Amino acid sequence: MTVELLPDLVLCVLLLVVAWSALFASTRRDAMALFVAFGMIVALVWARLGAPDLALAEAAIGAGLTGVLLLRAARKLPVSSARRFDYRRHLGALTFIVVAVSGFAVSIILPSPADITANNIDSPVAAAMSDSGVSHQVTAVLLNFRAWDTFLELLVLLFAITGLRQLFPIEKESLEPARTWQLLVSWTRTLVPLLLLVGGYLLWRGSSGPGGAFQAGALLAAGCVMLRITGMLPPLHWSSFAVRGSVCAGTLLFLCTAVLTHSLGAGWLDYPEAHAGTLILMIETLATLSIAIILTLLVAGERKDLCS
Amino acid sequence: MNDALLSLVTPLVAALIVLTGPAMTPRRASVVVLLGSALSFAAALLALQTVTASGATQTLNLGGWEDGLAIRLRLSPLSALLLAFTALIHLLAGLYARFSRFASGDDFWVLSAFLHTALAALWLSADLFNLYITLELIGLAAVAMVALSGPKAYQAAADYLLLSLAASMIYLLGVVFLYSEYHTLDVMQLASVSADSARTRLALALITAGLMLKGALWPLHLWLPAAHAGAPAAVSALLSAVVVKGPLFILWLVWTEVAPADLAREVGPMVATAGMIALVAGGWAAMRSPYIKVLVAYSTVAQLGYALMALGLLMSWQIPQMHIALWLFVIAHGLAKASLFMAAGEMQGTLGTRRLTGLRGATQTVPIAMFAFAVAGGSLIGLPPSGGFLAKWVLLEPILSQPQNWPWAFGILLGTLVSAAYIFRVVVLAFDRATINPPDTRPHLMGHWLALLPALIVWGMALLGEQLIGLLAGGGV
Repeated sequence: MTVELLPDLVLCVLLLVVAWSALFASTRRDAMALFVAFGMIVALVWARLGAPDLALAEAAIGAGLTGVLLLRAARKLPVSSARRFDYRRHLGALTFIVVAVSGFAVSIILPSPADITANNIDSPVAAAMSDSGVSHQVTAVLLNFRAWDTFLELLVLLFAITGLRQLFPIEKESLEPARTWQLLVSWTRTLVPLLLLVGGYLLWRGSSGPGGAFQAGALLAAGCVMLRITGMLPPLHWSSFAVRGSVCAGTLLFLCTAVLTHSLGAGWLDYPEAHAGTLILMIETLATLSIAIILTLLVAGERKDLCS
Repeated sequence: MNDALLSLVTPLVAALIVLTGPAMTPRRASVVVLLGSALSFAAALLALQTVTASGATQTLNLGGWEDGLAIRLRLSPLSALLLAFTALIHLLAGLYARFSRFASGDDFWVLSAFLHTALAALWLSADLFNLYITLELIGLAAVAMVALSGPKAYQAAADYLLLSLAASMIYLLGVVFLYSEYHTLDVMQLASVSADSARTRLALALITAGLMLKGALWPLHLWLPAAHAGAPAAVSALLSAVVVKGPLFILWLVWTEVAPADLAREVGPMVATAGMIALVAGGWAAMRSPYIKVLVAYSTVAQLGYALMALGLLMSWQIPQMHIALWLFVIAHGLAKASLFMAAGEMQGTLGTRRLTGLRGATQTVPIAMFAFAVAGGSLIGLPPSGGFLAKWVLLEPILSQPQNWPWAFGILLGTLVSAAYIFRVVVLAFDRATINPPDTRPHLMGHWLALLPALIVWGMALLGEQLIGLLAGGGV
């Protein structure tokens, strides 16, 4: 056993331990705190596996924003009562675990196909990189080779926010805290400018290295959520054109690009080669804006944000 | 391909106009979205005409990249037909939602346009991962539309969301296995390289399970009645008529193209049997349901059994006639079910009850809506010369020609009897004029006539029977 394997082993054990404790925590709040920790460890695992793009997204969305969302949801729920042992539920869970683990085992035992990651150099992606307008492979796949997927992913967010708006039909009292915690306020003052800086950097960096619209948008959203929770940011009224416009901006630009490249250029989402880099950066910038606003609304949206 | 892309883009543009436009009242939104649907329908018809005239399936590599790198869109006669069908259903449901007295919620318009976009993207896609995203889109839009009913539908919407997400994950896992084996996601490339291996079998099993859960195909249908019955009438019509057909399309794509033919032959009888059980079990549940909309929702489970049976027999016999039967069923059922749900919504609202017993004397109190219900029900049973009859005829022909296939015919017969039983259960109650349930309000005739419209179209399908069969005869791809 080499020394290099040691951190991986530690991560694996930690992942399992944290997952177990999150599932079997005694209170809801503990379970959520452990879930956030779990997300951070998963992010480390991705980084260790050589997928920094995924690690960034997991840390920002999986651990950060989802954690805040869970904690906010927990405040609206009644205090959890003592657990009763529900025999049927455990039986279902047990069956699921057995099926999942055996499926996983089968997939490992089966003759393994050629390693997908190994021949990275002569993959079609690597061969087409020079025409893609960017130098980072993940960005090239997301914004150029499979841009249609990314466009539909942006639509997913748009659908989600429209769906969320259906959940506030009746006026309820706001759950904003009467008085914000002073430490949180001063932390937010320090953190938000930093988040803005890092978000902007990730967006810019996306064309040549790990980063891009989703990661940058998630970081900006984290900043907005903090501002919104501490009350430093006023409600984002859905009725204001600025909010709806920024929610749709990324989709609109993407759609315009597709339609224009189709009617004037070579074909649907076929960027002119000389301007591919610029186009991708523009799309990513507006997409970052849309993603940031939508994620903020999804996580911190109250009735006065979404339905007024 | 231009027309097909236009048909895909127009509803999205309509939705974005509704979302960002200034002073967008629900009334204006309805005009924009209806215009979008009408344009999309026209474009789809043009696409259908070009693709049948040229007689060849068109493909488009998005971004101009070579095969394997790009996502490929494919316009076949079948996908053009489904584009037109989806636009037509959206147009009919939109007209109903616009003029009916029973509101569908302000955001119905933007959500239905979103749903339309997602469905159009699904029919055109020929890439397993891209299909996964369209499935997600459809699921999200459908869940949001169920929630339009307000807090009483939240439970059903939440269940639908969770099951739909679980199903997506299972499907995605299957796609990952296929990708790890063949290094491509493109359906046509997979069709040429796929072979019968343990990993392929595992992948196909996962994909099938996920899609059956999404499409409410028996035995994974239990979420459907609550979700479809809880939504507003126009939404239920969309959900039953087109949404459940999306996963069915992918299932068909996977088993007729991606899966090796021998494996499909092996699995076919199982799928057909599931379809037969769905017919009887779904019909039985519909027959015993005490609520109007739950009856109609269970009838969807039963009717999907026909499609599943056609798919199973297609897989095991590999004869192109089953393609025709399958897609004729899908279209006939979609139109008839839209009519049934709208009529049920109108009757429910006018008579002020959700219970079936409240329909006593409906032939007298809400005659047009009841007529729509009976006419659409006739197509579900398969009475000639409706679209349902056409589909059933095409399905029965190859079965009856070989004596060893007669057990399947028996299943169809049983299914027909059960459908007749639940439709006539309603009709008999409606003719019970001795103990009439008086309506709460005067019937709103516009809504009733609009509910009748899809039913009339499905009966008119017989006039187009030859063209439809000719269109689908090429196997659809």
